[in-house]
Formats: sequence, structure tokens, C-alpha cells
Amino acid sequence: MEVFVDGVRVEVEPGATALEAARLAGKWVPTLCFDDRMAPFGACRVCLVAIEGAAAPVASCTTICQEGMQIETTDERAQRIARNVAELVLSELPEPPAGHTELAEVVERLGVGEPRWHGTVHEAKHDARHPYLVFQHELCISCGRCVRACDEIQGAFALTATGRGFHSNVTAGLDSGFQESTCVSCGACADTCPTDAITERFLFELAEQGSE
Amino acid sequence: MSADRRFDATTTTTCGYCGVGCRLEAHARGGRIVSISPAEDGPANKGHTCLKGRFAHQYTRARDRLTAPLIRESGAFRIGSWDEALNRVAGEFLRIKAEHGADALAGLASSRATNEDCYVMQRLFRAVIGTHNIDNCSRVCHSPTSFALRKSLGLSGCTGSFDDIEAAQVLLIVGANPTAAHPVAGARMKQAALKGLKLVTADPRRIELADYGVLHCGMRPGTNAAFLNGLAHVIIRDGLTEEDFIAERTDGFEAVADLVADYTPVEVERITGIPAADLEDAAHIYGEADRASIAWGLGVTEQRYGSECVQMICNLALMTGKIGRPGCALMPLRGQNNVQGSSDMGALPDTFTAYRSVGDEATARLFEDRWGVKMGRERGMKMPEMLDAAVEGRIKAMWICGYDIAQSDPDVEHVVAALSNLEFLIVQEIFENETSSFAHVVLPAASFLEKSGTFTNAERRMQVVEAAAAPPGAAKTDLEIYKLVAERLGSELPYDGPEDVMAEIAEVTPHFAGVTYERMGRRGLQWPVAPDGTDSPILYTEHFELAGGKAHFAALPYKPPGDEATDELPLILVTGRRLEHYNVGTMTRRTGNLALFASDWLEIHPEDAEELGIASGDVVEVRSKNGRIEIEAQVTERIEPGHVFTAFHFPEVRTNLLVGPSADVNTSCPEYKVVAVSVEKTGVAERPPLAATVA
Repeated sequence: MEVFVDGVRVEVEPGATALEAARLAGKWVPTLCFDDRMAPFGACRVCLVAIEGAAAPVASCTTICQEGMQIETTDERAQRIARNVAELVLSELPEPPAGHTELAEVVERLGVGEPRWHGTVHEAKHDARHPYLVFQHELCISCGRCVRACDEIQGAFALTATGRGFHSNVTAGLDSGFQESTCVSCGACADTCPTDAITERFLFELAEQGSE
Repeated sequence: MSADRRFDATTTTTCGYCGVGCRLEAHARGGRIVSISPAEDGPANKGHTCLKGRFAHQYTRARDRLTAPLIRESGAFRIGSWDEALNRVAGEFLRIKAEHGADALAGLASSRATNEDCYVMQRLFRAVIGTHNIDNCSRVCHSPTSFALRKSLGLSGCTGSFDDIEAAQVLLIVGANPTAAHPVAGARMKQAALKGLKLVTADPRRIELADYGVLHCGMRPGTNAAFLNGLAHVIIRDGLTEEDFIAERTDGFEAVADLVADYTPVEVERITGIPAADLEDAAHIYGEADRASIAWGLGVTEQRYGSECVQMICNLALMTGKIGRPGCALMPLRGQNNVQGSSDMGALPDTFTAYRSVGDEATARLFEDRWGVKMGRERGMKMPEMLDAAVEGRIKAMWICGYDIAQSDPDVEHVVAALSNLEFLIVQEIFENETSSFAHVVLPAASFLEKSGTFTNAERRMQVVEAAAAPPGAAKTDLEIYKLVAERLGSELPYDGPEDVMAEIAEVTPHFAGVTYERMGRRGLQWPVAPDGTDSPILYTEHFELAGGKAHFAALPYKPPGDEATDELPLILVTGRRLEHYNVGTMTRRTGNLALFASDWLEIHPEDAEELGIASGDVVEVRSKNGRIEIEAQVTERIEPGHVFTAFHFPEVRTNLLVGPSADVNTSCPEYKVVAVSVEKTGVAERPPLAATVA
């Protein structure tokens, strides 16, 4: 079927999402909770686009293309909401995201500056008991990617979302660390994490040495 | 990733652990690998990898890496220069050849090495040294698969692709534990099962995937043949065969139908211990599906009749027409990264590239012309024959590459006797190991992260390997070493790099005619590859690669395994692999994986444990006809009563002391999977503190 992204016609398979169409058209749409390897989740609300005829911007990762659909990736209202969402995410972090992370890229490309809200930020809480994987819980933005990678890519079911609101986070097993959980140390969680809330031990130690 | 400032360079390469063939992005900083992530477009791994591929790379910079040649002098090793080492190698090889003839020399290539390495090593032995005494370590794992697939279907390889896991409705897994031994393929199977793929597992252990399957058949070790013939019995009895397919594309069905008539579910239950009703269910689940695949591992092959069982697996696919189309793959799970390729490349005593016989006049002439030499038409020695000949003094010198036969081969005492009796032994390795302690010269080699070439994965996919770091110290790539040795032996090998080798392979091998590095690119090519580069994800879509184009059924009865439980040795030992470790553990024991799994244990069923007064944590003595070891016990229901299980990753356990000389009747692949043992408590384990992570 054909759809139009910022006026450019693209051919997509039935069932394709607006995000896929935008990428096919070579357009950048910010994402935080999305990963090609997993089913769309629609949680982060930064992949917003305008659809002609829709009352408000929609999450492109969970919007299925319709024949002839007009998708706008540069819609001003969608971009403003995405920027605010990213800014709110940043406002909870104790420090700006490391340069190589997906969160840093999204923030930079959306043009989000220093957050305007100076509320409580997460306190540093690290778990480095595993030989390869390190939790930096203060960097968790509850996108759910690690939990879904563990379920949908590996199938170890070791990670769980915990807490509510500001206290939302992620944990291995019954908050017992990776090694006491059903974790098989595949590292899919660290691979997908957009903030380094779960990261590789070597890279964590490199960063600790201030080498970034 | 190129914009990631944490890294100086990122190199896309292919994993050097198991046969799944994950494509990896290796990130280096300051010349060291600091991180590995999966390539998103890897055809086998699709953006995933396991703890070995992703994390277990620290061994490359371990302090005890071999970084210079070692030369034995008055009983001990000293560090030597390449010049000294090469002089010693050439001097001894030429002396032995002059005194005893070229057939007194033998080489073992490695299924861990690249296709190019294996090809060049077999050329070196055949054309430079002048003997067909070349074999590789697939002898002890999948040689029965290769033998059987060639007999039944024509080509030695998976008939489809890993993508058939998702395309299938049913997957039968026999004698394999994919989530531990082939973790990424295992994850794909598990995910497919969660999405509706019906898994049927058949193994003496209740493997993890059994928990996600519709049916688990727990059989006695060594009884696969009865199980497989039993499935055929029910399929034929209940009319689940594909008559047109049988008539048009196969030979020999009637003999199988006659033979399996005796394998009634009740009789099969008596032999295998699998309930008759479960056998009936398994046959119906497989037979009734439109698209069903069969995967198997060393639990099928490493048995006295392993090759025959692979032929029986082929029978099932042939009688139901489940071959040559999507979702209907016969899928051998290859243990090492290049089990497929090392044999494809002719590192075998009886065949040149693509399994063409050394006795075939036209093929032999082709290679004689290409290499400018004359060669014999009689096959060389298989690996077990080499060891026998070494004990008897007929083999005087060996060159063993990337293969620790003193830890991984069965009947360790025999191996040690063979190695001790050699006049000259070269071991080409990345670390000293059990085998190198018998060497006269140890040559330091590059690991897979430090060399270039290609590996062929379990789905026949030839994939590019690219160096992500330099070899440490004076270590060299295998290809460089072969060239240097050939030169000292008076022969120039005309290759500037692995691409030149592949060009020659393509030129002399119709199956690889269209293979180039450029065409392999990021996704590889599944052989056969036509001259225009078209590859073959699915084999046998039109015809089989046998005379007349028809596949051959094989009517083969069940025969008891080489070892049986007795009053003195009442339990059957099965060996296998742990998720955290890889084969002899040379690599993984030098990484953080050791902190995840520090020492091995013997799995024993609660009923047997109770009878023997054994609790988890007890140290037990395991005895077989062949030897004895001590190991900690772990009581678990993963293993069936009457059986025990352990791995062979730790040299201090020396599991293979227990395994005797019994081997596959057609290929000499050792019977690792059926060893009668006794188990007795000797003490309680004092667990050493977990080893610190190596940085």
C-alpha cells in the first residue's frame, strides 16, 4: 500500500507502522522505548507524528498505516510534546545522559536544553555483583526495553519492572541481582538500554576512569 | 556505532564459539577489544548473541597467552624465535619424511580455524609434505552427520536455514540442548515456541526447551535408533506418509517399511523407556504438520550407531515429504564455529574440497594440476587411526592445530600414550594446554578476533571474519604460519591473504564457484553458490544430489550401544556442554564466565542419589571400565533415573578419562554419550572462593 511521509510517497507492506513508513522515507523520528527486535510498546511518547485527520499527534510505533495515509514527522505540536516528554525524563536524572546513549541523541536532536524543572532526581544506586552486567538504577527511565529484550529476544524472563511513578525502575529476579535470577547473562538488556541504566562492566569501568 | 567515541574502531566479524555463526560488532579501544555487540543484520542471530560471543573475549589478552614460539630443550620449554622454531619444524619433518616416508607424518586441522586456514593446511599436507594424513576435530562430533547426509541426500549440510525455525509449525529436537550449547539458536527456538511452534524434545535429560514444548521423550542413552524407527512405524501405520513424494523422489522406502513394522510403540517403550503413548503422540505431531523440521546434536552422533541414526532422521523427513521447502529443515546443530567449513575445505583424510574423494581420478588430477604435484589415490588416516599408528610407531610426527586432544578426546590414556610416543609434535595454539605438554615445538597462533577469513555456520552460511585486534607479541595467524613452514619445506604457497585462498577454493570447487568476499558482504552466502553468486538457503527443492536425483532411505535396525549398565557399573554417563563454557574451556575459563560457573558437577536423579546416599555438594567418585574421576554431585530432576550427566570443560575433572574406545561404526566418532559408570560418595566438597574476574 502507499502512504505519504512529509509529502513523500512510500510503498509499505500491509500492517506496517507509521514509524516504519517514516524510516523507509528516510525521515528521523525520535524513539526511546522502540527497538526493532521487539514488538512495539508505545510507552515513551516521543515518537509522535501528526496524521492527517487525527485530532492529536499519535505514537508512530503503534500506529498502523492505512492506504493513502498522510504522515507528518515535522508537525510542530508533535515535536513540542516530544520535547516536553524528553525534558521531563531528563529532569529526573542526576546527570545528563552519556554522549553515546540513545537518550543523549534524542535530546540533542530534539533540541532539549537544561530542564526547566528542578525537582527531586534519582539517587545513585549501583549493583556491580555480576561479572559482566552493571545496574545504574538512577539512569532508568522505565522504557521497559530491558524487560522486553529479556522476554522477547532471549526468553530468560529475569527482569521485572518495579515501583510506581517516580520510583519506577527495573530489577533482576526478586531484587536479588542478576546472578540470583534466571538471567543467562546474554546481555540483551545492556544492548538495548537507551541510557546505560544497565551497562557492560568493562564499559562502566572505562567510564568510571573518566575516559569518555 | 561509528560515532561512539568510547571506541577507536568497530569491526564486524563472525563469532568464533559455536556453530550458530552470530555476526558481531567488535569494538576496540587502544588496540584492545573492550566490548562486543551483536550485528543487527546478522542472518543467524538477528541482533542477538549469548554470553560467550558478547562477553567472553578477555582471554585474548590473558597474561598466559602464547606470544612466542616454545621449543623443547632437555625436557623443558624455552622461549624461542620464529626462525629457530621453523628450522626445528622443517628439520624434523624433512628428517622423518626421509627416514620413514611422508605417511609417517599426520596433521589435525581445527574446526575453530577459518576455511582458508583449513584449506591451506590440507594443501600443505597433501602437496608439500605428500600425505593424505589430515583430519579435523569434527571427527569427534559431527562426522556421522556428514556421512549420513551424504548417503541419504547427497550433501553434507543442513538442508535449510535457521529461518526454518520460525517457518516451521513443529520442531523435533533430538539429542541436543540448544539453550546451553547453541544459545542463540536456542533462544530463537524458545521464542518460536512461545509464539506457537510445537516443540517435541527427545533426550535423556529434561533440557530447558522441554519446559516450553508440547512433549518430552526421555529416552535411555543409546536408544535413539529405536525411538526413530518407532516414529517411522507409527507414521507408516497411521498413513501419515507422503506417497507422491516417496514415489517420485526417493528409493528404498519398502525396505524401511518392512523393517520398522517390528518397532511397535510397546516394543520401543521396552527399549527406550519412552511411554508408548508418547511415541504415538510424537509421530502424529510431526507427521500431521504441514511444515516440520528436525534439529539434532551430538546426542545423536556421538554414539556407536550415530551415523545410522542420522540416516533414520532423514528417513522420517523423506517419508513425510518434509524436506526441500520452507519450515522443513534437517538441521544438525554444529558444536564449533567452523565444523561445517573445516570438512567442506577438505581437511579430511579421504576427500578434497566439497567431499570429493581423493580416489576420484578426475578430482585428483584437478588438484595435481593446480598444485603441480603428484598425489596418492589411497585415503589417509582418520584421527583415531593416527593415534593408534602413533602408539604402534607408524606415525612419527604430528602437527595439531587448535585442538586439545588430550582433554577432549576419549580414552585419554590412549591419547597420552600416542602423544608420548611421537618423535616430533607441533602444537599450534593460543594457550598451553594438556596436549601442548607433549609438544616439541609450540607455535603461538592468533585467536578469531585477531585474524581474517571465513567461517561456515551450521546452515552452510559462509561468513566473513575480520581481524578486530592484532595478535599479541609474536603470535601469527595460522595462514602466515603455514606459509612460513611451507617455505622452509621448499614450497611457496601463493597467497598474500585469505582472499587469495578463497579465490583458489572457488576456482577448484564448483559448489563454491561464486564465492567472493565482496558477495559474502555482511550476510554471507549459503553454499552451493553458483558462478553468478546465487546461494542456496534451501537444498533439494527439485532433486537430491545423488545419482538419479533421488534420495535414499536406509533400513537400519536398532542395535545396543557399545556400553551397557551392569551390576558393577549401574548408571549411564552422558556428557555435554554448559551454557557458560565452551568445550575444553581454554577460552571461557579465562574470562568472567568462570565467576558464573566455577567448577563442574555431576547431575544425578533424586532416586539414584537417595539409594547411593548422595546429597548435593558431596564429592563422588565416578568409575567406568576406562578410568575414574572425582567430582561434586548435584541432585536434580533434569536427568532421568539411571543416568548421570557432566560436562568436559574443566581439565581438573578430566571427564574423558571415563570414556572408552567405542565409536561410530562408519566414522569413528567416539561414543561420548553412553558410558556405564558407578558413583560413590567419597567426601563433601569444600568450595573454593569464586575466581576473580580477569580484566
